Amino acid sequence: MQSEWLAWPWLIPAIVGGGLVALALLAVVLRTPVYKHIICLKYLFCGWKAVVPLISALPAALGVFLLILVFAIMDGFVAETREMTRGTLADIIIDAHMEGLPYYDDFARRIENLEGVQAATPIIQTFGVIRVKPQFAAIKPIVRHCVLLGIRPSEKAEMGRFREYLQRQRGIGYPPADLLNVPDYMRSARGTVYTGCIAGVGVIGTPLPRPVSEVVQAGAEWRVLLWFMTGLAVVIGLFVWQAGRRHRGRRLWRLAPLAWAGAVLALALEALLIPVVPVRTQRMQVIDFPLINYGGDLVISTIPVRESGALEVEAGGIPKVSSRVLTLVDTFKSGYWEADSLHLYVDFAMAQQMAGMEAQPASDGRPAVGARASQIQVKIKNPAWGAAMVGLIQEAWQAFTRDRPEVGPLHLTINTWETQQRMILTVVEVERNITALMLGMMFLGFGILIALISYVMAYIKSRDVGILKAVGAHDAGVGSLFLGYGFIIGLIGTAIGLVAALLMLHYLDPIELWVNSTLGIEVFPREMYYFDHIPRHLSVPWCVGVSMAVLVLSTLASMAGGLLAALKQPVEALRYE
Amino acid sequence: MSETILQAQGLTKDYLMGAQTLRVLHHVTLSVARGEFLCVLGPSGSGKSTLLHLLGLLDRPTEGSVIFEGQDAFAKPKRWRDRMRNEAIGFVFQFYYLMPDLSVLENTLLPAMIRTPAMAWPLARRKHRERALQVLLDLGLSDRVHHLPQELSGGERQRAALARALVHAPRLLFADEPTGNLDTATGAEIMRVLARLNQRGGLTVVMVTHDERVAGQADRILRLRDGRLLHGA
Repeated sequence: MQSEWLAWPWLIPAIVGGGLVALALLAVVLRTPVYKHIICLKYLFCGWKAVVPLISALPAALGVFLLILVFAIMDGFVAETREMTRGTLADIIIDAHMEGLPYYDDFARRIENLEGVQAATPIIQTFGVIRVKPQFAAIKPIVRHCVLLGIRPSEKAEMGRFREYLQRQRGIGYPPADLLNVPDYMRSARGTVYTGCIAGVGVIGTPLPRPVSEVVQAGAEWRVLLWFMTGLAVVIGLFVWQAGRRHRGRRLWRLAPLAWAGAVLALALEALLIPVVPVRTQRMQVIDFPLINYGGDLVISTIPVRESGALEVEAGGIPKVSSRVLTLVDTFKSGYWEADSLHLYVDFAMAQQMAGMEAQPASDGRPAVGARASQIQVKIKNPAWGAAMVGLIQEAWQAFTRDRPEVGPLHLTINTWETQQRMILTVVEVERNITALMLGMMFLGFGILIALISYVMAYIKSRDVGILKAVGAHDAGVGSLFLGYGFIIGLIGTAIGLVAALLMLHYLDPIELWVNSTLGIEVFPREMYYFDHIPRHLSVPWCVGVSMAVLVLSTLASMAGGLLAALKQPVEALRYE
Repeated sequence: MSETILQAQGLTKDYLMGAQTLRVLHHVTLSVARGEFLCVLGPSGSGKSTLLHLLGLLDRPTEGSVIFEGQDAFAKPKRWRDRMRNEAIGFVFQFYYLMPDLSVLENTLLPAMIRTPAMAWPLARRKHRERALQVLLDLGLSDRVHHLPQELSGGERQRAALARALVHAPRLLFADEPTGNLDTATGAEIMRVLARLNQRGGLTVVMVTHDERVAGQADRILRLRDGRLLHGA
């Protein structure tokens, strides 16, 4: 996931463009008179009063920190939700709904022949009710609705991350075709063996908060704290040194080496005395406690629906219910709630019968009906081609119906997994974007602050402006001095915010644990989420964008001071004493 | 008399004071010869600083023109006037006008820093620094080069300001009440320096002052009263 940004289509042009802009800016900066750089740095780092503009960098730092941190966490939620959703489904889903798609194998093979397609498999999907007799006698049988999915295990294993989500068989080298088979050790203890099934953890389980063992890096929070203190010591050292230069008689400068020595000592302490060690801890986490064990039985009931849409009925017009006893061979946990709480995977042929989609011979004057499937799931070679592949598959379907007119008019919905799940994804993405927007509003305040500070600075330094112009500095040059002033404030804020956010993200788990254990604040209650850690996804383009926005904003905002300085007449500036 | 370095023709300056226009200079015409030490003498409020600012290309006249080395300065672009102030003209003010955040050496280097691009500074710095140190040595400030202006006495500040005005070897030096903020002895010392620069270095000096004794050092004195020259140039 971390490498997703590498696939960003505009990355290389953006890097090249950004590099060229940076080089052009550097060339411009290097061609400008040197007095601007020297005086700008003096204004920023000279004496105690320089604390004021540097403090004004803190809102920028806070803004960058929060925007990167919050966005990374929310983006982590989005990315993991997307990954779970995509892993559960497939890249492209061809949905024939309950009408069913005839000649599905032929069409699947035709799709597999398309350029860019890796595999395709038919799926049966219908609704059912399961009844589970819990392993504990004291608990009454549970009855739940579910989505029955008929799969060909060897083909489904090729789609998404189905196999990785299996709780028992994950990482075991069983042939994919055997995923639904009841293993021998389950058979040996019982008389009757039924067909195997894989149930979502929520289908046969009940949510239960339970302490879960977790390994965290203890000591990392102190290391981060020391890093911040070291940075602070360096900044204080710089100020003391600068202030000492301005007040020689007070010999204040002697404190500067002490401050720097403190910073170095902090670094040494960090390296020597505060090792980061893995520590096993227990945290409350919600788990779906299984009500039956592997090898246990459950009953699934469906109502078959024929091609015409009619329900199969028994004598007296009562809908015919198709029931099977199944043996639980595995559970499925993707983190995608809808799948985990509803999906029940069974053998394709059995599901086809239970859904009423199996081939029907001609009878009672009705023509024979071929077998049907609800869906075809498609895996493509490059997930980025999803939209283009949907178009190709639509063309392939039109060609297929021309070649096989017996398929008849059928409405297929062909979507990428993203389009299919857009409701869930959109909600999370909208939340993320609104949060980013609200945090971004902080920058307005920062912009106003920079504008005010640069204006006041230019006003206070009116005499300097007059002196510079008297000695031959151009209006624009003196004005740009204050633009540089704002730019450097923005740069300092961005650097502090960026480093703080990256450190925080890197050490998020131990810091969370420390906050949890020291302050007693549950930052990320595991009972509330499926994730066993705080998800995070650092987007490099986002970090670059936020940083650039702060730099541009601080430079633009400092135009208030720049304009005042540029328009100030030297005579007017020198007149007052 | 040698060639004319500076000419003012019909210089008039008006200031808007609310709805009223205040004329502080009335058609002043004068010329300054190269190597001359000219003093404009006048009481406070007579317009002498305004005249100096116009002659020094710091301000634009309402009417009239300033011819500097044969060029009509206000017919030229503003950048040309900025360049002249940086390369050909030096200023010394009554209140020194040193930049408080820069050391004496950095203040002296200011004209060089203004005309040197950042990319050329690492190479050019040494040459400019040597020149600045030499000027500071000549003015007796060699032990004060790294001090900030507030650490200097009034005389030292004025000498530092003089060093900044002289470091780029200007052809014309403007001095606005250079002794006005100094005690008598220090003022006399500054005047001796100006006279030496004029006599030995051939530097053209235009000074404005209200002090008759100070004006006595000049080759020629023009009297200004209520914005009018009492004697023609």
